Amino acid sequence: MKRTAAYFLAQLKRAARLLPGQILADIAVCFCAGALVCLLIAQGAFAAEGTRYRIGMVGNLSDSYLGFGIAAVQEMDDSRFMIELVPMSEQEADEAFRRGELYAVMRVPEGLMESIVYGKNDKFVTYTAMQGQQGLGTMVMGEITDVASMLVTCSQSAIYAMQRVLSEQGRGDEIGWETDKLNLALIQMVLSRGEFGEVEVLGYGDGLSLELYYFCGAVLLFLLLSGLLNSALFVHRKIALYSFLKARGVGAFRQVLGEYLAYLLLVLAGLLTLCLPLGFGLARGLLAIPEWEGMGAAPFFAFLPALFPVAAMFAALQFFLFEAADGIVNGILLQLICGIGMGYLSGYFYPSAFFPETMRALGDFLPSGAAARFAQAGALGKIPAAAWAAVFVWLGVFMLLAALFRKRRMGR
Amino acid sequence: MQIAVAGIKKAYARKKVLTDISFSMGAGSCAAILGSNGSGKSTLLSILAGVRRADGGSFLYRDIDLLREPGLIPKVLGYVPQGDPLMEELSAWDNLRMWYDRKTLERELAEGALGLLGIDSFLKTTVRRMSGGMRKRLSIGCAVVSHPGILVLDEPSAALDPVCKEKIRNYLDVYRKEGGIVLMATHDAQDLELCNECYILKDGILYPWQYDGDFHRLAEAL
Repeated sequence: MKRTAAYFLAQLKRAARLLPGQILADIAVCFCAGALVCLLIAQGAFAAEGTRYRIGMVGNLSDSYLGFGIAAVQEMDDSRFMIELVPMSEQEADEAFRRGELYAVMRVPEGLMESIVYGKNDKFVTYTAMQGQQGLGTMVMGEITDVASMLVTCSQSAIYAMQRVLSEQGRGDEIGWETDKLNLALIQMVLSRGEFGEVEVLGYGDGLSLELYYFCGAVLLFLLLSGLLNSALFVHRKIALYSFLKARGVGAFRQVLGEYLAYLLLVLAGLLTLCLPLGFGLARGLLAIPEWEGMGAAPFFAFLPALFPVAAMFAALQFFLFEAADGIVNGILLQLICGIGMGYLSGYFYPSAFFPETMRALGDFLPSGAAARFAQAGALGKIPAAAWAAVFVWLGVFMLLAALFRKRRMGR
Repeated sequence: MQIAVAGIKKAYARKKVLTDISFSMGAGSCAAILGSNGSGKSTLLSILAGVRRADGGSFLYRDIDLLREPGLIPKVLGYVPQGDPLMEELSAWDNLRMWYDRKTLERELAEGALGLLGIDSFLKTTVRRMSGGMRKRLSIGCAVVSHPGILVLDEPSAALDPVCKEKIRNYLDVYRKEGGIVLMATHDAQDLELCNECYILKDGILYPWQYDGDFHRLAEAL
């Protein structure tokens, strides 16, 4: 063990010589990562800023009941906070749509009202959106359009049906009065629609706000890709040194352990470098995390120790990848491909809840997924035993694999 | 006999590299192993140094089989691999400190093996700025930390200038005269002048060889 400690100290000296360069690289990456976090958080603020989807309404909108329905949706329904229905001509709608000023165009066909009055189902409102808008927004818009369509067409059907029934029963003089009563009842229903259902925001990654979710994602991505910044420690690796160490009684696992500990210190130095701008941003209110609102940078620094085990696991992963790769360039490429791939699958770029089940399961199983669960639980202040176990199992697996590759490298 | 190697075998996948290696050496002797590239010289030396595992055979040192007691190898054997086992970013001092404690290092530099190798003249130089000769001398300095009875060198004078070769040879001569056993793999005919035994490794078998200065005959034998 004395030799292992001596080897670790020698590696530490190497790391110390490389540290100034590493810190400069870390600062550059911190700047980029900070810009990314701000951008993501700014994107997530659309709801608070009241951004609405503009939808062009085209076709015969002259019918009084259709106008009434549209006005009801626009003025009274909860959906008015998300969508804006803009009546316009076919030409205006096409031009605005091409310019990207409209999210979609709704076309009301000729004869829609007659079709509804006579109980037919042969005319449809068409909803046109751009190709590529098949994301969550389109799904939400589809739902909202259904709601609007139901409100407009069903209320009209009800009014016309009531008027026909009253005419057939010879009660024509009551039509005006009963129509007013039904209109009021329908308006009452629209006004109270907010009570029909309750929107519950569960959050991402076991209850994190979008801001904290992406904050964790950005920090984890930095750690996951820090192998690129710390690659200098893997330059000048020599099989002769490994063979010599083995001949002096320092076997493959001890070699890997000594080098890994020095490498881990570089990774932790990088993490601490990242913490300074993040802590500053939180303390000054430049980064707004709802869970930590009004508490400055204190919750972040309390959360920081939860990142150390994750950093240790990612350092082991990076160490293994460098050990498995043949040469420094291959090692860097492998780091990049694995880092981006695993980060994507585990939801560092995009909440994994939107992924198909198989991808989500794979993303959760990967070391990046274990790290995400650990960090997200750490951000909420409660790390379950399973998360600890997953992180340390992966760490152990990578260390063993690295030692096996080292043995193979020495030509066992 | 101080060391006796018997029946060492080694194969990579289905390729037999060493089929039956046997030889013995006494105290104060120096043996050279000659062979063409890829003949298995480095494999044999790394097996003796405990880096690689043999498929069979024994390596007796004072009646202890070192292949069965690999933990003893670092205490009795110094190994200098073909490339230099040094950390490029560190100085000669830092590389030596990995193996020597401060007091021993200072003593060895003043009056021991490290002084003989002339390492004290480039102690503060980082390895990346060292010449091939400095690197080789420093590698030997790291290998002899425990004053081993056996010194195994893989091509100790490859690509060195005559002055460096001379320094290394002088040191090896002193080491041998003090009772140490030197075993080296070499391509350099000048190294043979230092050796009192010579072997040729061919087709996995080690043959004794009497070198008489006839380089043409040696080349034919390889």
